[in-house]
Amino acid sequence: MAVANPSRTPVLARDDDGLESARPQGQWALAWRRLRRDRIAVACGVFLIVLVFAVGPGAPLYGKLVGHGPNDLFPYAVSVGLRPAGPFTVTWATSEVAGDDPFAFTHPPPPQGTPKTLLLLGADSQLGRDEFLRILYGGRVSLEVAVGAAILALLIGVVLGGIAGYFGGIADSAISRLTDLVMAFPLLLFLVMIGSLFTHGLTEWTFGGLLNRGVFQLILIIGLFTWFYPARLVRGQIQSLRGREFVEASHMVGASDARVMRTHLLPHVVPPLLAYGTLLVATNIMIEVGVTFLGAGIKLPTASWGSLLAQTWGSILNPTAYNPATTQPWLTICPSVAIFLTVFALNQFGEGLREATDPRSVR
Amino acid sequence: MLGYILRRLGVTIVLLFLLSVLTFAVYLKVPANPAGFLVDVQHSSPQQIAEAEHRLGTDRPAVVQYVKYMQRALHGDFGISWATISFAFGGEPTGVPVGRMVWRAALVTGSLVLGGFILLLLVAIPLGTYAATRPRSFTDRLTLGIAVAAISTHPLVVGLLLQLFVGNRWKLLPASGYCTVSRPSAAAVEQVRRFAPTGTPLPCGGVGQWAWHLVMPWFCFALFFIALYMRIVRARMLEVLDEPYIRTARAKGASELRVIRTHALRNAIAPVVTMVAMDIGMAIGIAMYIETVFGLPGLGRTMIRALAGFEGYDLPVILAVTLVAATVIILLNLVADLILLAIDPTVARKRGRGLSRLVGRTA
Repeated sequence: MAVANPSRTPVLARDDDGLESARPQGQWALAWRRLRRDRIAVACGVFLIVLVFAVGPGAPLYGKLVGHGPNDLFPYAVSVGLRPAGPFTVTWATSEVAGDDPFAFTHPPPPQGTPKTLLLLGADSQLGRDEFLRILYGGRVSLEVAVGAAILALLIGVVLGGIAGYFGGIADSAISRLTDLVMAFPLLLFLVMIGSLFTHGLTEWTFGGLLNRGVFQLILIIGLFTWFYPARLVRGQIQSLRGREFVEASHMVGASDARVMRTHLLPHVVPPLLAYGTLLVATNIMIEVGVTFLGAGIKLPTASWGSLLAQTWGSILNPTAYNPATTQPWLTICPSVAIFLTVFALNQFGEGLREATDPRSVR
Repeated sequence: MLGYILRRLGVTIVLLFLLSVLTFAVYLKVPANPAGFLVDVQHSSPQQIAEAEHRLGTDRPAVVQYVKYMQRALHGDFGISWATISFAFGGEPTGVPVGRMVWRAALVTGSLVLGGFILLLLVAIPLGTYAATRPRSFTDRLTLGIAVAAISTHPLVVGLLLQLFVGNRWKLLPASGYCTVSRPSAAAVEQVRRFAPTGTPLPCGGVGQWAWHLVMPWFCFALFFIALYMRIVRARMLEVLDEPYIRTARAKGASELRVIRTHALRNAIAPVVTMVAMDIGMAIGIAMYIETVFGLPGLGRTMIRALAGFEGYDLPVILAVTLVAATVIILLNLVADLILLAIDPTVARKRGRGLSRLVGRTA
C-alpha cells in the first residue's frame, strides 16, 4: 500500500538560534512514521503483503513447482478406507488407481515409471486434491470477495455520506433514515436468503475470467448491505468540517460545491476510511466464510476458505457423521488457521493504521 | 420524551413493513414454482399444477397474496409450512403451523443467546474490571491480547474445532443436538423410537441435559463477543475510577473492594447492559452459525432449511422468521435507547460508537 514515500526522512534544519527542528511534514509522512513505530502493525502489514503474493502469483507458481493444479485428483492420497492423507504426503501423481480389487487393504502400486508429487498439507477430501494449493486458490477467492465488497461499500458510503453531510436538509434526513432502517436489518439472515436463492444469472459474471464464478454476486450482496457504516462515518466527518473557516474561505473565492468536496473535504475523510476499509475487509472475510459455509456463497468446485471448511463438515441438510477412521482433523485445522491469521493481521493492521493516521492519537 | 418514543415506534412499523415487502419481492423473483410442494411439477398436467397453485393461493396477484398474508399474520396466524402442507382430507389444509414452529425455534435461539450473554457478562465484567484496576500490568496486557485474538476468530471456526476435538474425538461434551428444558413425554420418545429413521437421536430433556448440550454453543457465542465487552468495561472503569467521587470514597476509608463494587462498577456497567440489547441483531446472526454447527433447531437453522429445502422456497416460514427476528431486534434496540435516555438524557442524541464496534456489528 503506497501510504507515503518511505525514503523521505525528516530533514533537520538549523534555526537561527541553533536548535534543531523538523521541517513541517505532510500528514502521510507523519502517519508513515507513526505506523513504522508500531511493531505489531508492521509485522501484520508484512504478513498481508506476503499473503497477497502467495494467493496471487504464488498459487500458480507453487502449482508449477509441484506439477499439478488445485482441481487435480490423486486417489493414491486417499486410503482404501477413504481417509484423506495428512500433511507432508508424497503420492503418485496419477488420477487412476491400478486394479479394482474391492477387498484389498491397500491400493496396488501404479505401473512402473509413474511420477510422484508432494501434497504439502495432504489431500482435501475423498477426492484427493491438494489441500495446500486449494487453500492458496481459496484465499484468492476469499480476498477477492472481501476486498471487492469493501471497495463497493466504501464507494457508496463516501458518495451518500458525503451528500448527506455536505448538503444537509432533505438529502440528509432521507439518507439518515435509510441508514437507520437498514442498520436494524437482520443482515446475515438476509445475505443467506438472497445468496441461496439466486444461483444463476449474476453468478456467471466473471469479467472474462478475471473473477471466479459467484464472486461478483457475493461482492454485490455484501457491499450493498454494509455501506451504512462508512456512510455514517463520512457524514459525521463532513458535517463537522462543513462550517469550518477553510470551507467558508474556499466558497468565498468562488469554489464550486464539487470542488470544495473533492479538494478540501475528501482528504480529511480518506485516512479514517482507509483504516475502516482494512477492518471492513477483515469483517467481509468472516462474512464470506460464514455465508459460503451456510450454502449461500461460492459454489464447488471453486475453492474458498468457507467452502473448504464446509466440504469437510458436510452440508446443512446432510452433515457428515464423525467417523474416527475417515475424519482427517487437519482439514478443519488448516483453513481455520488461514482464516484466523488473515483476519487477525487485518484487524491489527487496521487498528495500527487508524492510530497512525489520527492526528490526535498520542503515541 | 413521549414524542421520541412515538417517532421510534413509527419507524419500527415502517421498517417491518419494508422488510415484509422485501421478503415478498425476493419470493416473487425466485424461479421455482411453489406448486412443487404439492405436485411433481415435471410430471403433472397443467390442470394439476393450476389446482396446486390455487390451493396454495399462489395463482392470485402478488398484492392480494401479500395483503391476505399480512392480515392473517397480524391476527397471529402465520399459516402452515408449505413443506409439510397437504390437502388430503376433504381439502382442509393440514400440516405444521408456522407459528408453533417459529415459537419452538425461538425458544432454542433464546436459550442459546440468553445463556451466551449471561456467560459473557459473568466473564467480561470481572476480567474488564480487574484489568482496569491494574492498567498496563501483565494481566491487563494478557486479557487485552486474548480479547484481540478472540475478536479475530470466526465463531464457525471455534465451533468446528470444538466440535471436532472436544465433542467427537475426546467425547467430553455432546457434539451436537438439543434437549428441551421440559422432559419429553414417554409417548414422544416411543414415537421417535418406532417411526423415525434409524439413527435419529431420541428426544431428551431436563434442565441438566439442556445445559449440558449447550455448554459448547454458549462458549462459542461468548468468545466472539468477549473482546468487545471486556474493552468497553475496561475503558468505562478507567474513566469512572478517575472521577472525584471515587477519591472521596477512598478518602472516607472505604475498602478497595467496596469502592470498586459499589461506587465504580455500578456506574461503569450501566451502558454495558444497554449494549446487550443493541447487539441482539448481530447475536441472532452469530447464533445462526452456532446453530448450524451444533445442530440446534433454532431460528437460523429453521430459516436455512426453509430456504434450501429440496422443494424450494417455503415462504410462510421465511416470512415469519424474518419478521419475528426483526421485531425482536428493533424492539430491543428501542428498549436500549430508552434505558440510555433514562440514564442520561444527553446520550440519546449522540450514540458514539468506536470503529471496532461498527465493524463488530456487521459480522
